[in-house]
Amino acid sequence: MARKTVNIELNRVEGDLEFQVDLEGDRVADARCIGTLFRGFEQLLIGRAPKDALVITPRVCGICGTAHLFTTALALERMNDVPVPAHATIIRNLCLMAENVQSDIRQTFLFFAPDLLNPRYADHALAPALEKAFKPLQGSVVLSALDVSRTLVEIVAIFGGQWPHSTYMIPGGVTRPATVSDIIDCREIVDKAVRWFEKEVVGDSLDNWLSLDTAERFLEWVDEPAHRDTALGLFTRFARDQGLHTYGAGTDQFLSAGAHYDPVEWQAPYGEQRTLLAGGVYDGATHKIEAFRPELITEHVRHSWYRPYPDGRHPFEGETVPDYQPESDRYSWAKAPRYDDRVVETGPLAELLTGGDALIVDLLKKEGANTWLRQFARLRRASVLLDLMRAQLKALSQELNNPHYLAPADGSLDDGDGFGFVQAARGTLGHWVQVRNGEITRYQIVTPTAWNASPKDSAGRHGHWEQSVIGLPLTDIDNPIEISHVVRSHDPCLVCTVHFVGAGKKVRYGV
Amino acid sequence: MATMLWLQTGACSGDTMSLLNAHGPSLESLVANGDIQVLWHPSISTEPTSHLAKLIEQIEKGERELDILCVEGSLITGPYGTGMFDSFRGRAKIDIVRALAGQAQAVLAVGSCAAFGGIPAAPPNPTDCTGMQFTRDTAGGMFDTAWRSKSGMPVINLGGCPTHPLTITRTLAMLAQGLPVELDAHNRPTAFFNQMVHQGCTRNEYHEYDVEDTELGGRACMFFNLGCQGPTTMANCNSELWNQRSSKTRAGVPCFGCTSPNFPKNGDLFRTEKMGEVPVTLPLGVSRGHYMAYKNLAQAAAPMRVRDKKMDT
Repeated sequence: MARKTVNIELNRVEGDLEFQVDLEGDRVADARCIGTLFRGFEQLLIGRAPKDALVITPRVCGICGTAHLFTTALALERMNDVPVPAHATIIRNLCLMAENVQSDIRQTFLFFAPDLLNPRYADHALAPALEKAFKPLQGSVVLSALDVSRTLVEIVAIFGGQWPHSTYMIPGGVTRPATVSDIIDCREIVDKAVRWFEKEVVGDSLDNWLSLDTAERFLEWVDEPAHRDTALGLFTRFARDQGLHTYGAGTDQFLSAGAHYDPVEWQAPYGEQRTLLAGGVYDGATHKIEAFRPELITEHVRHSWYRPYPDGRHPFEGETVPDYQPESDRYSWAKAPRYDDRVVETGPLAELLTGGDALIVDLLKKEGANTWLRQFARLRRASVLLDLMRAQLKALSQELNNPHYLAPADGSLDDGDGFGFVQAARGTLGHWVQVRNGEITRYQIVTPTAWNASPKDSAGRHGHWEQSVIGLPLTDIDNPIEISHVVRSHDPCLVCTVHFVGAGKKVRYGV
Repeated sequence: MATMLWLQTGACSGDTMSLLNAHGPSLESLVANGDIQVLWHPSISTEPTSHLAKLIEQIEKGERELDILCVEGSLITGPYGTGMFDSFRGRAKIDIVRALAGQAQAVLAVGSCAAFGGIPAAPPNPTDCTGMQFTRDTAGGMFDTAWRSKSGMPVINLGGCPTHPLTITRTLAMLAQGLPVELDAHNRPTAFFNQMVHQGCTRNEYHEYDVEDTELGGRACMFFNLGCQGPTTMANCNSELWNQRSSKTRAGVPCFGCTSPNFPKNGDLFRTEKMGEVPVTLPLGVSRGHYMAYKNLAQAAAPMRVRDKKMDT
C-alpha cells in the first residue's frame, strides 16, 4: 500500500515540536518525533563555578524550574556527600509538590481539555457542558484552575522569593528557614486548593476520592450524580465514550526515580533513592517492580543529529557534538535515553504505578496503558500530592527550631562527580555533573520529555511517543485529533529537551 | 480592543508562566474587559499551528491589523546567521519576527532573552542569539537602534528572567488603554523600572550598618560577599512582591540582576568582586571615597540587634 507522510499540527506544546507520521490507508505505520529548537544549555555551564548551575538550570524550563533547581542541588551534594537537614528537604519537597500540582492542573485544563472541544465532537451530547467548563480563558473550570494554580506557586514564592526561576535550594539546605507564619500561609494555600479540587474536580471529599482503589468502584462512583458533571466526571465520561481508554499505550515499561525525598531517610552518604513515593521500573506485562538503578541509563544518538557513537552511553560518558545532516535517516536533536536498553515511559502514570496507587494499578491491570489513563493519572497525582503536602507541612512544623542549612565543608564543591534525580511534573529528571578544580567540566541533563519523546535508538527501537501512535487508525486525516490526544496525554514539553535544533517542514507523499 | 500576538522564539516558557501568574490585571480579565484580543498565544490558542501560519501571512500582507506583538525568548541567528536553529515551517523565526514587527503598532520584548539575549546569550552563546534591539548592553540587536514600530516606539523591553507578572499585564493594559509609555535608557518602561531591587529589601538595615553574610542561608546583607546585585539593579521586585508574597532577596537569594542587559554576569554568580573590603561595583551613584568612610562608621555604629542578626528574614 502506498505510504503518505503527513505533519501533525500541534500547539499548546511547551517548546517546538513537529510530529510526522507515515500513513498506510487510515492507519499510522510509522512516526517521527522532531523538535525545532536548539538552545545549548549544557554548553553554557562548562567552565562556570559549580553553584552557578543553581541559577542557570532552573532557566532550562519556565514550568519546572523548581525541579531543575532541586536536581542540581542533589547532584552537587552527592559529589562529596554534603549533608542536608530534614528542615530543608521538607521545604524542597513542598515547593516541588506545589510546582507539580500547578503544572498538572494547567496541563489538564489549559492544554489537554481544549481538544475535547474539537469540531469533531460538536454534535456530542456532552459538547455544551464541555464548552461551559473548558472553553479557553472563559470556561468555569479553566478560570478557577488558573486562579488555584497561581495561588499554589505562592508556596514557592514564600520560600524562594518568586516562581518561576529562583535559586533558594543550595548545597546543604535552603536559603531561609520556615516560620510559624509560613506554616499557616501554606496550610491556607493547600486547603484552598483541596477545596477547589473537591468541589470542581471530583465532587467528593479528598479522602473518599483517594480511597477509591479498584477500577470497578471508580467506574460506579464516576456515574453517580454528585460526580458525573464535575471536571473529572465530564472528562472521564467523554474520553471513555470516545475510546481514549482503548489506544495510545506505547511501551509497557514505566520509570520513576521515586517521588519526593524522605526527610529522615535521605541522608549522606547518598546511596539508593529514599523517597516518599517509591521509584522503580514497573513492568506492565508482569506487574512486577524492579529497583531503579541509575547506572543502567544510557543515551543513544543513532537517529539524532550528533556525532555518531555506537550503542548508548551513560551520561557521565556522554557527548553532545552537533552533526546536522537533514537528508539522512537521522531526524531529531533529541537523544534517545534508554534504561537497561529498554524504551520506558515516565510521568505521573509511572510515578503512581511504582508508588503503589491501588486504583491506578488496578486500572492498568484491567485496561492496559492508554491515553485516558495517562491523563487521569495526572489529576490523580495532583490529589495525591495535595494530601502529601498537608503531611509535609505537619512535619515542617516539627522542624522550626532545627537548622535549614548546613554549610558544606570547604572544598566539597570543588572536585567530584555527582548526579541527582527528582520526579518533575512530566516525570523522571536526571542531572549529571562533573567538577574539576572548581569548574564544571561536564553537565548532562536527561529530561522526562527526552525519555518519552525520544527518536529511534541504535537498535532501531522507536521512542515511547512514536510507539504510542504507531498502529493507530485515524478517523479523519485532515483532523487527526486522536494523535493530539495521545501526544498531549504525555504533557509534551519540548523546551526542556535541551539539545533540539531546527528542521524544515516536509510533506512527502508516496514514499 | 487591542489585538495581541505572542510568539515564542528561543524561550523556556517562563514569561508565559509569569503572564498566567498575573493577578491584577490578569490576562483573563484583560480579555474579559475588552482590552486585549489574543490572536495567538502558543500555550492558550486552541487552533492548530496552521492558524498561526495564516495569521502571519495576513499580518505580513497588511490584511489584518496587529496592535501588539509580544516576543518571548532570545532571537537565535545560528547556525551561520541563518536562524535555522529556531524555525517555524522551514522559515527562521527571526525572519517571522522581523516581518510581524514591521506591521505592529507596538513591539514588546517579554523577558531578558527577547530584550537583551538573556541566559542563552551568555558565553559561549552556542546559538548566536541576541535581543531584539539590544545585544546584552550594546544598543542594536536584531534591529538597529533607529528601528521603530508603527506607533513610533522602539522595542519596549520588559527585562526580567522572567518578567514580573504585573509588568507584563500592566504594560499590555497601558498600550490597550492608550496610556503613555515612557522608557528608560534600556527601553524599559520607567513605570516599572524606576527603582532598585535594593529599595524595599527587608535586609536594608543590614546593608546600612554593613552587617555582612559570608554564607548563604543567613539573615544579613548579601551585597558584600554573596554576589547580590540589588543595589545596582533596576526592578520592582521588592515593591511589587512576586506572586503577591515575597522577593528573592527577602528569601535569602542574592539578586542576580536579571532585569539588566548584562544578565547573567560572567564569573561566579555568588561572589562579590572586591577591592580590599569594598565591592568593585558600588550602589548606583555612590563614590568610592565616601563609601569607604561611611562603611567603617556604619559598622561601628551597628546596634547589637542588627550585629547579632536577630531581625526577621
